[in-house]
Amino acid sequence: MTRFVLRRMAIVPLLLLGIVTIAFVISRLMPSDPIAAIVGERSMNNPEVVQAARERWGLDSNVFIQYLNYVGRLLTGDMGTSFQTRASVSTDLAERLPATMELSLLALVIGAIGGIVLGVISASRKDKFADNAARVFALLGSSLPIFWTGLILLFVFYAQLGIMPGPGRLSARVDPPPHVTGFYTIDSLVAGNIPLFLDAWAHLLLPAFVLAWGLMGTISRLVRAAMLDELHSDYVRTVRAKGIAETAVMRRHVLRNSLTPVVTVVGFAFGALLMGAVLVEQIFSWNGIGSYAVEAARTLDYPAINGVTLLGGIIFLLASLVTDLVYAAIDPRVRLA
Amino acid sequence: MTPARQRTNRRWRAVLAGAAALAVALTGCAGGAPAATTGDRPLVIARAMDLTTMDPQRGYCDTCQIIYTALYERLVTVDPADTSTVLPGLAESWEANADNTQFTFALDSGAVFSDGSPVEASDVKWSFERLVNLQGSASFLLAGMTGIETPDESTVVVSFEKPNSAFLAITAAPYLGIVNSEVAEENGASAAEDAASTDDAEGWFLENSAGSGPYTLAAYSSGESIELTANEEYWGEEPQFTEVEMKEVTDSSSQLQQLQQGDVDVAMQISPDALAQLEGDEAVTTEVVDSYNYTYIALLPAAPGGEPLEDVRVREAIRMAVDYDGLVDTLVAGYGKLQGSPIPNGFEGSKEVALPSYDLDGAKDLLAEAGYADGFTVSATYPKLVAYGVDLDLQMQAVQQDLAEIGVTLELNPVDFTQWISTVSGDGTPVTAVYFAPDHTDSSQYVQYFGNIDQGGLINPWTGSVSQEQTDLLAQALTESGDERMATYQELAESMAADAFVLPMVNPQLILAYASDISGVAYSPCCNLEIGQLGLGG
Repeated sequence: MTRFVLRRMAIVPLLLLGIVTIAFVISRLMPSDPIAAIVGERSMNNPEVVQAARERWGLDSNVFIQYLNYVGRLLTGDMGTSFQTRASVSTDLAERLPATMELSLLALVIGAIGGIVLGVISASRKDKFADNAARVFALLGSSLPIFWTGLILLFVFYAQLGIMPGPGRLSARVDPPPHVTGFYTIDSLVAGNIPLFLDAWAHLLLPAFVLAWGLMGTISRLVRAAMLDELHSDYVRTVRAKGIAETAVMRRHVLRNSLTPVVTVVGFAFGALLMGAVLVEQIFSWNGIGSYAVEAARTLDYPAINGVTLLGGIIFLLASLVTDLVYAAIDPRVRLA
Repeated sequence: MTPARQRTNRRWRAVLAGAAALAVALTGCAGGAPAATTGDRPLVIARAMDLTTMDPQRGYCDTCQIIYTALYERLVTVDPADTSTVLPGLAESWEANADNTQFTFALDSGAVFSDGSPVEASDVKWSFERLVNLQGSASFLLAGMTGIETPDESTVVVSFEKPNSAFLAITAAPYLGIVNSEVAEENGASAAEDAASTDDAEGWFLENSAGSGPYTLAAYSSGESIELTANEEYWGEEPQFTEVEMKEVTDSSSQLQQLQQGDVDVAMQISPDALAQLEGDEAVTTEVVDSYNYTYIALLPAAPGGEPLEDVRVREAIRMAVDYDGLVDTLVAGYGKLQGSPIPNGFEGSKEVALPSYDLDGAKDLLAEAGYADGFTVSATYPKLVAYGVDLDLQMQAVQQDLAEIGVTLELNPVDFTQWISTVSGDGTPVTAVYFAPDHTDSSQYVQYFGNIDQGGLINPWTGSVSQEQTDLLAQALTESGDERMATYQELAESMAADAFVLPMVNPQLILAYASDISGVAYSPCCNLEIGQLGLGG
């Protein structure tokens, strides 16, 4: 196990260098010039201003030199300064990552648990009303576009009914808790501020649900199909023949054996959730990595684009490593070496 | 039970407990009652912010205008009721020499910065020099400045190479806010000639302010919010709100919802379509006011593929083929005006200029006269964005349909804003469309940017000619003031309108929407919104 982890870790720097290089090359291939976004159209015809901006942002040298400079600074932990926020990219990411993580992790939990529960209900009440209802719900989740469900749910539960809070991580006129982890729910509890915790928690629910709905659909269908398969297998017949209670059959044997593919899905879903967060964050005014990435791409903010890509790469690699480990833990046929 | 089973069981119990907790939490807290706040009510403004920097001498954007105005004061300000009237700011009085090449300001002796130190002539000199030497996006505002003298601590003399009667109006622009030079220098700022490469204060300005305005910067989180606190040392009339938050709310419908729910007090970009939804809502006040913003299309013959546009009759025909009233209805639900020349309604010189009118037959005749009876094809590269409620994509589709009526095929090529800037300052495009909002209240900016003169504007590199008449008239206007200047700008407006290189499409009105108990919400010609004027008790 340890050897497996070490071996996997050893290739990480190489993969990351690859990711950085690809991000660098792709962003430079875009047919527009970030200087345009920095200088603005009013001064673009002023050569002095354009030259000053190129020098200031290190865009006056040859692209290969720029690449070497970037990678060189990256090795010292310096991700550069964002053209758009004028703060260091590492600071920007550190400020925004907790917001996205808090949202995505909750979405992952809701998606996984909700999906498994729905899947179990479907499989055990096959073709009955509960099964059909669960399947329709799942289908809606995986087929409705996130931006649409987000807007509709906000419209209904916030603007019309007023029973859910609006966009943002906290209500208007509420100050965030002192920074510890950056997760407002955790930080408010650390600060012992229960009303603040409830406020942060309530603000998380709608966006997390919107983000989770699609995943919930995928998982529930997966669980349902796998469980139905298992239910027809020989060992289940044998177990039943031994007189074990049906709930125990379901829980200990069928469900457990059906969960292996779910782990794979959940592992990769984390990456997908981060991507889905791009849309959800826009709709819910969530100042996380997603909205940062959109803004960076829109203005061709090279350092920010590279920074987000690098961070995404790290998260993806970690998620797949964890998936492999969990796989080994729950499926005795998988042995890591 | 085997140990393995025990483990499985325990794991499932944990999962179930978690699910139960989640369910309880989901149902229990869905009410989402906002946590109570203490103290005075803070003012919350919702806005899609286009801010990149908090350094007043580096920024250049609409949000910058609002925030810089709250934090930094200028020597003078502009009367919202009449844009050509200049009012005292940090300077209690001023005078220009006869040919408008030298301006002398006497500073108000009561003016102090937020640290209590007096605003001195050296701060003014330092701020203006820094604006120029940083070579930033707003540096062009002080082009042609030859020197600043400070005979004593309360007198500032600014000299220009050529007459510049626009300077007083420019002085009222938020980018010319006066910074506490001592504090800024301590934190890495420089106004020296090499400031562009040595100034290191931009990061400091992200967290601090050093001005004399009604507010100071309390916190800034890019993409999320800007928090302001009332300046305790403020020397003018104390602002009513001690705390102000400007919150990033990107889309218009979300601004509307939050305003209706009472989560924000002022929503700055409510779209005209949404106005009907606010009717009858007692808690929200809406006002429709005229703005100085507009969208336009530019016809640029010298750009590749622009040959048919060389003939002024062709450009005139295009102007006549556009159904303007239709545009105003489709694009801004009728909340907009037509505009005759690149100098917008309300600015000096705009008053008497004829508005464009729709005349399909006249357009066809003109086109035939120019030898294009069968029409031609031309491409239009423009940014895909919504400016002041006008969706440029929709605008161009409407124009495309209108032009098809006279046989002109417009090939639309919407691109990202950044790419658009690269195009217009690089390879060029024969037709383009975008918007313009004033940087200050003098009409000269429109001639500099849209006139057919060789001064680094948008149009001239692509017209294939230079208008000596417009060049001379602009120079003349900058020596004049009062009615004379008004007449010269009028001539310029007519000349630019006749050139038909720039065809204004829509001058959208602005929708002010705010909680009914708020007062002082107004569109300021120099500064967009003056937060210091906002109060309770509408």
